[in-house]
Amino acid sequence: MSLSIGKLKTKLMRDYYKYFSKYSKGEKPERKVAWVSSFAPVEILESLDVLYYYPESYAAVIAASGKEQEMFEESNRNFLSLDCCSYSCCIEGSILQMNGPRGELPAPDILIATNNQCNTLPGWWNVLAQKYHVPLIILDYPGEIENEKMAYEYVLVQHYNLISVLQKLTGNMLDVTLLNEIIDYSEKSVSAWKKVISYLVSKEIKPTLLFDDINYLITARCKSETSELYNMMCEEFFEKEDVNDERIPVFWVGYPLWYHPQRYLEEELAEFRVVGSNYITWWNLNYQGEDVFERLYNAYNFTFLNLSQKTRNIRLRECIKYTGAACAIVLHNKSCKCDFVSARDLDIPQAEIDMDMIDRNYMDIKKAQKQIQLLKEML
Amino acid sequence: MKLLSLSGFVPEQIYDTVRFTGYQGERNIQHYCGYANDFISQVLNDKSLDGAVFPKSCDSSRIIPSYLDGTNKFFYQFLVPSHNSEDAVRFFAKQIEDYKHAIERKIGEEIDDIEERIHIINKRNKAVSEAYMELEECSYKMYLEMIHANLNKPLREQTIEILSCGKTYETRKRIFLVGSFLHYTEVADVLEKNGLKIVGDNLPESGRLRRMFTDETGGNIYETIADSILSHKLSPTQNNFEKIIQTDLKEIETKKVDAVVFATQNYCEAYDFLYVPYRKELEKRGIPSVKISFTNHGGANNLSLIVEAFAESV
Repeated sequence: MSLSIGKLKTKLMRDYYKYFSKYSKGEKPERKVAWVSSFAPVEILESLDVLYYYPESYAAVIAASGKEQEMFEESNRNFLSLDCCSYSCCIEGSILQMNGPRGELPAPDILIATNNQCNTLPGWWNVLAQKYHVPLIILDYPGEIENEKMAYEYVLVQHYNLISVLQKLTGNMLDVTLLNEIIDYSEKSVSAWKKVISYLVSKEIKPTLLFDDINYLITARCKSETSELYNMMCEEFFEKEDVNDERIPVFWVGYPLWYHPQRYLEEELAEFRVVGSNYITWWNLNYQGEDVFERLYNAYNFTFLNLSQKTRNIRLRECIKYTGAACAIVLHNKSCKCDFVSARDLDIPQAEIDMDMIDRNYMDIKKAQKQIQLLKEML
Repeated sequence: MKLLSLSGFVPEQIYDTVRFTGYQGERNIQHYCGYANDFISQVLNDKSLDGAVFPKSCDSSRIIPSYLDGTNKFFYQFLVPSHNSEDAVRFFAKQIEDYKHAIERKIGEEIDDIEERIHIINKRNKAVSEAYMELEECSYKMYLEMIHANLNKPLREQTIEILSCGKTYETRKRIFLVGSFLHYTEVADVLEKNGLKIVGDNLPESGRLRRMFTDETGGNIYETIADSILSHKLSPTQNNFEKIIQTDLKEIETKKVDAVVFATQNYCEAYDFLYVPYRKELEKRGIPSVKISFTNHGGANNLSLIVEAFAESV
């Protein structure tokens, strides 16, 4: 018998956080543990039976639980500059405090970061490597370059190397057929998620739900239950009444505010309806390809933040056009320089707001209100 | 063609560029690393420049094309590998070759003096290395400014002199200077005026020049250049904090350094991250350290006060 949406979500979360509280009590996982960045090719890890955790994702959870400020203070006391990405400061603080809302991240046996979202992560991962004295692998994804053959070969060798290191670490051998199946799961998750987010335009759905539920695509995209969950959500959304009101359709460009109960400025946007967000499309990875390596290359080399400004502009405009948004809330994230420039040359009126995705003290709310007011007047 | 370059990852062996050291004109961008912002502003505003060359090695440099895309100027971005494997060297080498062709297309001439340029660079770097060995006897500020002045000139016009200032620094506290490109050279002056003698550094402009030697004995010339750029002086963006710290500690111990000063640009995450494990290693050895961050476009807040307090505590 299939599980309900609620039970599926609980199961996926329970599976992911199973070892956090156990680890806090001194129990280590039996399997090898990797800490990975958000756009790491986790399908390889899944097929080699490695447990993987996302520190960035946990930083968002810490902020949602209201504890990020104490983590910042702790990391700053230990000389990590608060100018650095707030995810890194938050996790550094939680490691030092050995405390978090769901327990501790089980210590890693290996650290794997990628530069297909930013160049901050490799630096942060170096700090972690110095702390844990475990192997560090930085996967270098060139993104869009003229000589694509060269980029493909370069990435291919790195994926081979990753497999080789993980095989040695776990004692397991890679089964390419299994890897292909796992990539299929990821592809299905992406496909189902695309349908889920498409309903934001026409149905009465709070963006909060999607900002929260993309978490399954991030942390569990290659699990079979994830596409199952998203397909069930689609069925539920399909049954909802179509939206029919006078609110202004607005596009949310940038990160959710993880510390905010609604993940966006709901209280300031009463006259608006959020019809889209680029953040919820970032993990819509393209797993097409002739073999597993081409599929992984296509998925991870061409992540949104690894694309040229020109391509990003095109993608973002298409995304906005699809939603029919009349305006945009553009967030300039102190912690994400790469996303900072995502919203250049949009063709619709916009309110630009300086923020941080987990530091609730960073945003000047009065300034933000003024920007939103100006946007309303402009419309 | 006059090109402005950012970072030592840009291969001088191919073509003359003016190394960016600082900008005093109107600024276009208000956010993030002031050094990168100033670079972008100069490229956009300086009509004498035909273009720019820069790496993709940190977040600030990564997004430079987003600002230059609309200009008609030539620009080339090097994707600096995040590791130092043979494949990474080959990958970087192919870009160097591609860069050469891009310039040839732009200037309409063939570049045929790479070997000669390598020879000149090796000779210059040897001279920088010799000047560095004389740091005990000379002003560090003069040493650094001499390097900056040279990086602004075409390769064949560069001259390195050993600048003995004839002063005796024996009674001073011995300092090792760590950090990103130090365009604000007054820092060195403030340190020395407070009785802190800089006897060594790992700044990119100094470290890379004095350590980088390109093999002149043959092989694939682009791979040789790539290898020399990637391996002789590591940047924190190359993901080997361990090696950077160990290399520096060796010099710090050999030179009997009393304290370490970290001088970095605001929002320079690579060095901000490096500081955490670096400081821990220094603490283990009982060596005090201080971090000075520069605000955009120049000075550091309370620089004199910070340095004075630190000098007293050493």
